[in-house]
Parts: sequence; structure tokens; C-alpha cells
Amino acid sequence: MRTTTRVSAALAVILSLAASAAQAQSANITATAVVFQAMTVTGARTLDFGNVFPGVAKSIAVAAATSGRFDLTGQASANVNVSFTLPTNLASGVNNLPIGTWTGCTNATNTTAGCTVFTPSAATTATAFSGAGALFVWVGGTVTPGAAQAAGTYNGTVTLTAAYF
Amino acid sequence: MPRCLTTLAFIALCVAFQPLAAQSTVTGIRNLDFGPVIRGVPSSVSPNDPIRSGRFYVRHIIGRQVQVRFTLPTQLARVAGGANLPISFGATDAVAKGTAPTSNPLTFNPNNTQTFNLVTSADFFINLGGRASPAAGQATGAYSGTITLTCTFF
Repeated sequence: MRTTTRVSAALAVILSLAASAAQAQSANITATAVVFQAMTVTGARTLDFGNVFPGVAKSIAVAAATSGRFDLTGQASANVNVSFTLPTNLASGVNNLPIGTWTGCTNATNTTAGCTVFTPSAATTATAFSGAGALFVWVGGTVTPGAAQAAGTYNGTVTLTAAYF
Repeated sequence: MPRCLTTLAFIALCVAFQPLAAQSTVTGIRNLDFGPVIRGVPSSVSPNDPIRSGRFYVRHIIGRQVQVRFTLPTQLARVAGGANLPISFGATDAVAKGTAPTSNPLTFNPNNTQTFNLVTSADFFINLGGRASPAAGQATGAYSGTITLTCTFF
């Protein structure tokens, strides 16, 4: 009987401790970052349609001498997304000249030979810097003058935005 | 008879400790990933970012309390060595949300200890954001550090 009482008392103490004791646990995660050098984007060459005539559409291919070109520098071999803000018209005062059917090509070296074709009007295009941290992007397009297109010099702005990913 | 009671006491002890050991847990679910960071340009990750924020899962017992405490690094170490990347955590960089549909997210400062009363959910997630501040001449490359969440279950 004495043994029973002693054990019961001990059990009560243990149960009491168990009910009130705090228990600590830990878990880890890792924080990571990859530091890249700053990127530069330069509009290297203007997309130039030259002379166009009313009612006659004209296209400039990416491999043409007057295609637009952007030169980028960044972290060697890093992945980069490029996207464009493209005009739907070139403007000459109040007159507009429709532009569209955009074409694009990227390469790690400054030549369109063997470049990778993409669609500039797409949301983003994934590409990468060369091992030397270079990237070249060409753009072409088509202007479609109306039959009564007003004469004049038309221009617009093509903007390339690049971001590491 | 005494031996019988001793056995009984042992079983009771196991049963008494079983609930906390089995039901209370903290687990690292997702790393805090600052991703590409450009030299000289501070970069932040929101605790609500579903991809880059850090994430822990905590489970305890409804009706009880959990105290959570982060151990946060002040810098990440360059994996290749030779440099550190300063990081920091602001007053709104941690968000806790229970798994019950009626649970509301609670924003708190991960630099401070926080105690939760488990009213509607027995388990919850804690998301963690932060800010990396690379110097203009920061060495390029991968950096990493460890974030620890310690939970005290009451």
C-alpha cells in the first residue's frame, strides 16, 4: 500500500510536469543570393526603313544593315529576360505610319549569322549573356504606309528592357 | 504488485509526454531566395512572395500558445569565400497565417519574439522576407546563410 501511494504520488508529479512543461524545437532554412555585375543596355543602331512610298509596305529584316540593334553587357553566362515596348505607329506631327510584324534575333557575338530568332512582341524572351558578358539583340519590322500617306519623316521609339532571372 | 505499478507509471509517463512530442513541430519549407542581385542595388523580397520568400510550417495544439523566435543572419557569406553580403529584416518582413480558412494573416517583426495563441488553427505557416544590400564593389557570385526559427510550445 505504501508502495502504491509513493508511485501514485510520483506519477501525479510527472503528469503535472508533463502537462505544463514547454518544449522547444528549431528548424532551419537557407537564405541565398547571387550577386551579378550591373547590366548595361545601349541602343547601338537605329531601325531605319529609309524611303517608303504610299501604299507600299516595306520590311527590314534583322540581318539587314539598317535593322535596329541593342548591345548589352552583364554578368558572364547569366540568364536574362528581354522585353520590348514597341510602337504601333511612327509619327510625323499629326500623321501616323503603321508599324508592326516585329522580328528579333539575339546572339552572343556581334553578328546575325546563327543568331536566335525570337518575337519582340512576346511578353518576355529568355536569353543569356556570353561567357564574356556580351549580348546583342537585333530588331526588324514592317511599315505599312496608306495609299494617301502624308509625306514626311516619321519616327518612334523602341525600348528594350532587360532583367536577370 | 509494486512491479506492476512501476510498469503502469512508465506507460502513463509515455502517454503524458506523447502529445507535445508528436503534435508539436516546426519545419523549414522553403528557402529565402533573393535571386539575382546587382552590385550596388539593394534588393528586397516580400514575405508574400510565393516563390522567393522563406517559409516555415509550425504545428501545435489548438487552444495553446507557441512562441517563435528567429535567429537571423546580418550577412550572407560568399560560397567561394572572401566576401559577405549584408542583409536585414524589417518590421513587416514576417507574416504568419493559420491553415484554417478563417485565419487572418498576422504581420510581425522577425527581429522580435512573437507569441501566438492558437485559436482557429492548430497549425500555421510563417513567411519571411528580407533585404539584401550589396555594395557597389560587392564580389560577384553565390552567397548563403542560415535562418533558424525556434518554437517554444506551451
